Amino acid sequence: MGGGTFLQIFLLVDVFIMGVLVAVAVRHANAHFRPAKHEAGKPQPAVADEHLPTAVKEHLLKTSQDQFQLMLERSIGQLQHNLGDTSEQINNLIKNLATEVVSSELEQYRANLGRLHAQAEKDLGGIKQAMDGYQTELRAQVAQELEAEKQQLIKQIDTKLSDAVGSFLIETLQHNVDLGSQAAYLTAVLEEHKADFIREVADEAQPAG
Amino acid sequence: MKLNLQAKVSSPQDLRAITLEVRQYAQWFSQYSIKKRVSSSKSDAPPPMSETGVALIKELTDSKQLSQAGLDELIAALENLETTSPRITITLAAAAPNSLKKTLVAWCREQIEPNILVDFRFNSTLLGGMVVRYGSHVYDWSFRRQILAARGSFPEILRRV
Repeated sequence: MGGGTFLQIFLLVDVFIMGVLVAVAVRHANAHFRPAKHEAGKPQPAVADEHLPTAVKEHLLKTSQDQFQLMLERSIGQLQHNLGDTSEQINNLIKNLATEVVSSELEQYRANLGRLHAQAEKDLGGIKQAMDGYQTELRAQVAQELEAEKQQLIKQIDTKLSDAVGSFLIETLQHNVDLGSQAAYLTAVLEEHKADFIREVADEAQPAG
Repeated sequence: MKLNLQAKVSSPQDLRAITLEVRQYAQWFSQYSIKKRVSSSKSDAPPPMSETGVALIKELTDSKQLSQAGLDELIAALENLETTSPRITITLAAAAPNSLKKTLVAWCREQIEPNILVDFRFNSTLLGGMVVRYGSHVYDWSFRRQILAARGSFPEILRRV
């Protein structure tokens, strides 16, 4: 910002100087090429030319022209030199300004890029976390369903196996009944449930009694 | 009149058969008594009776002289037993041999009721064991029942083999 102000002030001063120089040059040029006409009615000051010889006058005129030419050339040279300097300084300033602007924009671009990168990373992190959670949940659900299916199949196999074994035993044992060898077992079973029978007898005898 | 049933009279059918025998004997005895009073001619032989029937008549004549009233009283006692005695039905996997019948009847009369009537049946699908029905209760102690009840443990047992 300080560089910009300085550049503006410097340019204004240059323009002012150039204006002054141009005004001086135009005045001299005007005075040289269009000398002022004296009014007829006015009394003219006494002209020294009349008293100077022609050679002197010509010599003075030539000297004046030479000096004016020299002055003009100097002024042009100086102006060119100033213009060169000014142009160089302007170029430098523009270069610096451009560099500064580009640097600033680049810095801002980098900052924005960093912020966007951080935001993107944050968003990606959230998405990844959500995806991880969903994946874990899905995995658990699939495992649970597989386990349930497995248990269901095992249960079905067990049921069919039980039916098969039960049918086999029933079919096999049906043709090999030996009650003689079961007498002890039958008596033992009755003995085991003797209390039930006695209670049943008592219950039946009670209403009759 | 108090009667104690013999071991051979185990089922309601046995009791009905004995009652019928005694009734026929009483009928014969009545005719025999009338013929004996009106004539001295020989009457018909008594009807054939089982050992159990003979034993019952003998038991009756041991205490007092055989009479029509005593026979009627015996028939009434038998009929009373048929209606009042508790009954138990035992279903086995095959027709029960006599030895097993005696064992089970003896156990029932010793442990439950002295004059209990035991009805034996068989059902081959039981495989073994027995099903006992007493009153309104049915006790299923058959092998078939046990196999079906233990069906759920077969896979576990097979896994251990």
